[in-house]
Amino acid sequence: MAKVKLIIENVKKLYGQSSDLQTRIIEVHGKNVGVLFMESSSSSDNVSDFVVKSIDYVAKNTNKLSDVYQHLKNNIFNSQLTTITDFKDFPYYLSSGFTIVIVDGSSEAIALETRATLDRGVTESTSEPILRGPKDSFTESNAKNLGLIRKRIKDHNLWFDEVKVGARTQSKVNIAYIKDIADQNCVTAIKEVLKKIDIDGILDGGNLREYLLKKKSVFPQILSTERPDLACQSLLNGKIVILVENSPFVLILPNVFIDFIHTSEDQYQKPFNISFTRILKVIALIITLFTPAIYIAITTFDQTVVPDELLISLAVQREGVPFPTFFEVILLMAIFEILRESDVRSPANMGASMSIVGALILGQAAVDAGIVSPIAVIVIAITSICSLIFTDVDFMNGIRTWRFIFIVSATFFGLIGIIATGLMLVLKLASLDSFGVPFLAPFSPLINSSQKDAVIRYPLPRVFKRPMYLQNQDKTKQGGGR
Amino acid sequence: MKKKIIWLLIGVCLITGCGNYREINDLAIVTSIAIDKTDDGKYELTYLIANSPKSQTSNKEGEATTTIYSGKGKTLNEATNIIDRKTPKSLYYGHINVVVISEDIAKDGFLKIADWLLRNPETRKQFYLLQAKDIHAKTILKIVEPLESFPSQSIASLIESNATFESLTSNIKYSPFIERILSKGFDPILPAVTIIGSEKKGSTEKNLEKTEPDTYLKLNDVAIFIKDKFVGYVGEKDSQAISVLNDSISEFKFTFKYHDHDVVYISNNIDTKVKIKDFNHISIKVKGAGYLSEVNGKIDIDKTDVVKKMEKKLEQKAEKDFKATLKKMQNEYHADVFGFGNKLYGLYPKKWDKIKDQWNNEYFPKLNVDIQTDFQIVSSGALNRTIGEVKK
Repeated sequence: MAKVKLIIENVKKLYGQSSDLQTRIIEVHGKNVGVLFMESSSSSDNVSDFVVKSIDYVAKNTNKLSDVYQHLKNNIFNSQLTTITDFKDFPYYLSSGFTIVIVDGSSEAIALETRATLDRGVTESTSEPILRGPKDSFTESNAKNLGLIRKRIKDHNLWFDEVKVGARTQSKVNIAYIKDIADQNCVTAIKEVLKKIDIDGILDGGNLREYLLKKKSVFPQILSTERPDLACQSLLNGKIVILVENSPFVLILPNVFIDFIHTSEDQYQKPFNISFTRILKVIALIITLFTPAIYIAITTFDQTVVPDELLISLAVQREGVPFPTFFEVILLMAIFEILRESDVRSPANMGASMSIVGALILGQAAVDAGIVSPIAVIVIAITSICSLIFTDVDFMNGIRTWRFIFIVSATFFGLIGIIATGLMLVLKLASLDSFGVPFLAPFSPLINSSQKDAVIRYPLPRVFKRPMYLQNQDKTKQGGGR
Repeated sequence: MKKKIIWLLIGVCLITGCGNYREINDLAIVTSIAIDKTDDGKYELTYLIANSPKSQTSNKEGEATTTIYSGKGKTLNEATNIIDRKTPKSLYYGHINVVVISEDIAKDGFLKIADWLLRNPETRKQFYLLQAKDIHAKTILKIVEPLESFPSQSIASLIESNATFESLTSNIKYSPFIERILSKGFDPILPAVTIIGSEKKGSTEKNLEKTEPDTYLKLNDVAIFIKDKFVGYVGEKDSQAISVLNDSISEFKFTFKYHDHDVVYISNNIDTKVKIKDFNHISIKVKGAGYLSEVNGKIDIDKTDVVKKMEKKLEQKAEKDFKATLKKMQNEYHADVFGFGNKLYGLYPKKWDKIKDQWNNEYFPKLNVDIQTDFQIVSSGALNRTIGEVKK
């Protein structure tokens, strides 16, 4: 077999003499033992403490004539030990933070886990804050993410299927599901799709979404979350969770429309109060979709539907505004969206000055200057506040797109246009499905037993069944199931 | 294919939307209309336009004042065209609240002008119709009321509060009024409005600034019509009696005398039943339970027999009043505002057809009507006894 020095030269060539590749040769009973590791992705302490020391220990405590490779393999202090037989696997292990030990004359190499902690640790969720319930969130570390799920569901039927995606990134994608609940066809289908992906790299679950869904829609059909408790709730309901290495956001599927109105917190609070909150959210959804369009329709086409005094008040407020109502609404909406976008992108310490400018421009100054009418500011304010109630960014943006479509149809056709577009929206949503589950379930098709946790939440002891629209193997949560 | 059909359907839905795009601030919102007749036989239309900003310079306060435009013409449309030329904005009729007609118009026959407002697709047909008594209809629109923000609203709320709480005038809206004109044997009535005080003072903003306004609108008489022609006015008492006998009332307030003391009785559940005995004989039963609202004097109202006596007195007085109104209608005006003819037509359609032309002048005055009243005093309000009694 090859000489250690030759192999090291080859690896160095492979990495183009990258500065973070560290090598060391130790002589043990006349044989060269090579230690290779990436200084960047491995922890040097681990390498010195557990690899170099071990080799030293082996050298001192063995006979001259014995097989050095076998001794090393049996005596190295490390819980994770893999043998590599193919030189092609070297880069994957090295880049992942493993230390590779090679011995002169041996056809195998040993890979030892010496990964450096390059993630920020388990912190509180920033994008989905809650008041009551577990506060931890997923991180960039794959092992930690899996651990956060595993420690919550101790059942051995919780399985993680790993698929590597991306020719260059070799990202680990784990499909998590509870084997005797989840629909196996769905798991197989997802695996098929993931295996077929031909791309140089994926860095976040968001990249995978585009491969998983065939039908186009502005609404997301896959929920993404950084809350482990929500992921576990979904798993227990028979859904499938996809975890992508290096991404704190996991994907949950199959998903239905009503899931975007739920939060993980819903399960930890009083059912009656949560039902009230959910009804409010549905109302907010309707408001945020329709308000600007209805405002345009009733001020430019269907004035007859407005109560007398309100109409006169609207008419007087619009007095002196130079732009048509449509333009006024679009202008304010654009300003709000720009503000929102810049607020997300800008560093935190600039947020305060921006909100002052935003509030002044959007509020008082624009009205005082006579550019927009006060009522239009109110309309856009209500719309924006109601849209911020939803945590999923893609869902929020989907609503925004449809709001714009509604505005355009209201501008040309009034209330009738809104009704027709509303019909189109419902048709579109009803036509969507995610891995065979209709997007509007459990409302269309109507499933009575699943209404207990749709808009109204029943107390947990009374919810016997998992969502029936999922093709679960085990349909009940209580009694027969575990 | 299926998809194409769906898109086609959606397209059809969209195309049906009427293309009358107009900005709300380009509209002159007409909230009231007054129709007068000039001496030379022309119509004079007056529009009350609600949304003129207070002043050109500070329009951000959102306060509306009203403006009045009038025009004359042979037809109502001609008059409208003249107004249209005067106003810088396009007239919008969707929110008409009140239409005031003058006595001349009413005498001439209301149906002559009814067509125009009904034919306009924009108008709601649920506005109040009023008749101006003794003055031009135009004057009514000019009066600025202190308690409401703009005149047409003040008239509308005046009618509403009067009809519900005072039971003085019937709140008849436009399309029910026309329905009644066209129905068989049911003559309509209209509330009549007039102004107290001077017209000049009432039409300026100064009227608003005073604690006791110089001029205000008054609504107490009722204009009696035969078919669509005005025949005369009746006062408060008759107006209330008509409402009770028509069963079109929610609150009945009645004052009677008991041993020289004035007593006011209020009933909130008046129920009137009209029974047709035969073609010439109708009996009416008025039932109600209520409370005493005012007792001015020493009466032992905690004693059952006294209350019974009071009820008797009340019933007699009410019966007498109702009968007086009935007689007035039968003999003086010949106007069947109670709808007896309509009820007879329902039972005897063939007989009715034969006499329908003579109904108002021959048959209705001779109609034999019994009125029975049954009022109960179930409560004496917050006081159990009268004040005079407590003192003793």
